[in-house]
Amino acid sequence: MQISRLNRGDGLRRAIFGLLCAGAALFLIFGPFFLSAYWLRILTQTFMFAVLAQAINIIAGYAGYPAFGNVVFFGLGAYATGVLVVKFNATFILSMMVGIGICLFFTLIFGLPVLRLRGHYFAIATLGLNEATKALTDNLTALTGGGMGLSLPLIPGDVETNSRFFYYMFLGTMALCLLVTHFLMRSRFGYAIRSIRSNERSAEGMGINTTRYKVLAWMVSAGFTSIAGSLYAYWMSHIEPAIVFDMAIAIKAFVMFLLGGAGTLLGPILGAFILETVSTFAWSHLLNYHLATLGVIIIIIVIFMPRGVVFFLQERFFLSSLVKKIREERTV
Amino acid sequence: MLFLQVLVNGLLSGGLYASVAIGFSVIWGVMNLINLAHGSMVILGAYITYYLNASTGIDPFLTIPVSGAVLFVFGYLVQKYLIGHVIEASVLMMLILTFGLDMFLMNMNLRMFTADIRSITPVYAGLGIQLGSLRIPYTRLGVFFFALTLTLALYLFMKHTKLGNAIKATSFDSDAAGLVGVNVRQVYALTFGIGSCLAGMAGSLISVMYSFSPIHGAGFAMKSFVVVLLGGLGSIPGAIAGGLILGLAENLASVFLEASYKDFISFVLLVAILVIRPRGIFGKQFYADLKA
Repeated sequence: MQISRLNRGDGLRRAIFGLLCAGAALFLIFGPFFLSAYWLRILTQTFMFAVLAQAINIIAGYAGYPAFGNVVFFGLGAYATGVLVVKFNATFILSMMVGIGICLFFTLIFGLPVLRLRGHYFAIATLGLNEATKALTDNLTALTGGGMGLSLPLIPGDVETNSRFFYYMFLGTMALCLLVTHFLMRSRFGYAIRSIRSNERSAEGMGINTTRYKVLAWMVSAGFTSIAGSLYAYWMSHIEPAIVFDMAIAIKAFVMFLLGGAGTLLGPILGAFILETVSTFAWSHLLNYHLATLGVIIIIIVIFMPRGVVFFLQERFFLSSLVKKIREERTV
Repeated sequence: MLFLQVLVNGLLSGGLYASVAIGFSVIWGVMNLINLAHGSMVILGAYITYYLNASTGIDPFLTIPVSGAVLFVFGYLVQKYLIGHVIEASVLMMLILTFGLDMFLMNMNLRMFTADIRSITPVYAGLGIQLGSLRIPYTRLGVFFFALTLTLALYLFMKHTKLGNAIKATSFDSDAAGLVGVNVRQVYALTFGIGSCLAGMAGSLISVMYSFSPIHGAGFAMKSFVVVLLGGLGSIPGAIAGGLILGLAENLASVFLEASYKDFISFVLLVAILVIRPRGIFGKQFYADLKA
């Protein structure tokens, strides 16, 4: 099931959908000129989570491997930037590249053994990798500053320019991530990993080198997560192992990805916007109960939209997809 | 002699890990549900003991049945009226659901009990058995004893009662169990109740040994993952073995490396066991692989 199915048939709705997307894109591009600093910051964070959720979508949604501990790449990216900038005076771009390199190496080394596991077992193994890396970062005090964390040099320039800079950096990363995912899914790679999701054995029988494509998918996912981590380190200018390797980040991104719709292009982004908006509301209006509010909302969504918002909307507003679903159910 | 003390400490904390993990293991093994709210349930049990102890001065070990009963009712209701209604959701969605539940519970724990770190000091807290230079505090010994007793009780319950057999049958094949007259929904609710009950009782044990606050639940949930996967999903002897191995590994690591490498060791162990033997030491193929 692809969101591109939205575009087949249902002509008027297709046009409305296109207009909505264009409107949203324009709004985001020109946002910094009329939005308050508060909302800019919230949007920046939303873009960051959208990248993380989309990265999870690539490995978990399309390839079917629930990389629960994907936040390890966020932390590695953040620490690559932090350590290189603070201890070695490197430039941001260089540190980001090194971060990506470390993450690709990490997936190559651990991907081979760990991607042999499936379902829960894979999810927990990635969680273990994250916790082990976090504990190691905590202990290598000479290099990483240990539990005290690392403070990056402040970026010169006024606050407003900087907040716009990070806004556009994260927006750009999100757009890049969206484009890459879009084109990858139309390529041989995209078909390969989706066939792995539906049935790995038969994919292998068809001559697909499943190991190679699984590792590649995880690499793409890790690369984007790492970029988000590098940017985050520079944005926050202070990082600690407990913050950048926090499982809560991974789980939040995972919730966004499932909320929006697994294996759809726009789902994770939609999920990020919904969850961030709700959690901002919960923070500002129900401070003492914001966790509980979020928890209840997650529970309600799972109960009423167990397949995610995109599928939920598709079934409501697009007749063709409803017909398709009924047909699929009949054949099954 | 230091080495022997480390071994004993490792075994003693391993017993506690086993008791924390066993409820988690039962729910996962039988219902194929990873209960991320486990940590918060454990902490809830710890608070029940804390407040009973603080208000009436009752011995913490005697409060175990109370926290077990409260959590049993809670778990039963949650499964019957919340989780049981979500049928068509994927396994991952269920993970998210229990995560939402955990957020809710943690928030409620924070509101009800505040974020202050609590601990219980019974009168015999400083006392212990002295064997040469080896020292075993009574509290740790008591925790170990109760942890093993609870586990044994669960084992006997599963093996010899009708309900226990129904639970096992449901975990092998819920459709077939339904066909021979098992009320699967009821069994699930009871299983979740039993898992929560064990979590609550483990929480009482924790309160004797460690200081705790609402946010400490997550750490125990993580440890449960390691223990369950080490020992094997749904396997009761496996949970004991997994708990003891984890306890030993952590304590040995703190002697030979540094105490702060404890977490590193336990998660390296987790990844290693998953890669080498995914079903765990005592795990059987059918418990999880069929459903994965």
